[in-house]
Amino acid sequence: MRFTATIHVRPKAEVRDPQGEAILAALGSLGLGVTSVRTGKEIVVTFDAPDEAAARAATDTMGRELLANPVIEDFRAEMSTS
Amino acid sequence: MRVAILRFPGTWSERDFEHALSLVEAETEILWHTEVDLAPFDAVVVPGGFSYGDHVRAGAIARLSPAIRELRRFAAEGGPVIGSCNGFQILCEAGLLPGALIRNAGLEYISDWVRVRCEDDGTTFTRGLRDRVLRMPIGHGEGCFVADPATLERIEKEGLVLFRYVDERGIATAGSNPNGSAGNIAGLRNEAGNVVGLMPHPERAAEPILGGTDGLGMLRSLVEALGTAPALAR
Repeated sequence: MRFTATIHVRPKAEVRDPQGEAILAALGSLGLGVTSVRTGKEIVVTFDAPDEAAARAATDTMGRELLANPVIEDFRAEMSTS
Repeated sequence: MRVAILRFPGTWSERDFEHALSLVEAETEILWHTEVDLAPFDAVVVPGGFSYGDHVRAGAIARLSPAIRELRRFAAEGGPVIGSCNGFQILCEAGLLPGALIRNAGLEYISDWVRVRCEDDGTTFTRGLRDRVLRMPIGHGEGCFVADPATLERIEKEGLVLFRYVDERGIATAGSNPNGSAGNIAGLRNEAGNVVGLMPHPERAAEPILGGTDGLGMLRSLVEALGTAPALAR
């Protein structure tokens, strides 16, 4: 089966997010009452796996081994068959 | 004594290390990241640069390369390893050193000279340097050292901090911390003491014409340590 996974990576809550801080300062100039900004990234991967359980396991490995650094980041995957 | 210098796509400091190591009469070889046999070497340098364009995170892609797989084995057997700048980032990403390096607190890329104080002379790279304040250049956008509180406590308790950013008096202050690193940490060693990493570039502080020679001490330390110690049984 062919799966498409969207993997969201975000800095852990306790890790500083300097990019988020810079965006917060910039959004402040729009006067919209923004009080907090956290940034992250989204990685979309298409891959083949025998079933959904195997696909889940594959995205866990991708997140753990490369896409996120467990010291500073969390990740979660949303999956669909394509 | 032979020193392997690893080169990934985007590495930029391998020639500087080659030159600086020639000044202390070490034999060197630059190895492409797919040339994985480290057995003939006595020490390994992971130089600075932007391996794989810093994509995903600085050092993240290099972590999965054949050279780093081989480096894990080399390090596990006690072989001396030094990573500078992107090399430090790679060693952290590979889990060979604790913690991680994130975007500088001020978001800017910093190219400057800094002072760091050496806190441990027990490693192959810092013999005789304890409490010495060394002036070396930095050039990085992701040099802010972070770790979770438990890891930071362990790093401090076990004395794994090798270098701290300090002022001209040798004191770690907020003003002397260029990138927001936790505890002003500029460099670390592993528990065994054979793997060290630092953000500054010792290889670029190796000749008076470059503005200083404080980095040469670390390379001399390596040559002296390996020259006097019996060869590692590998």
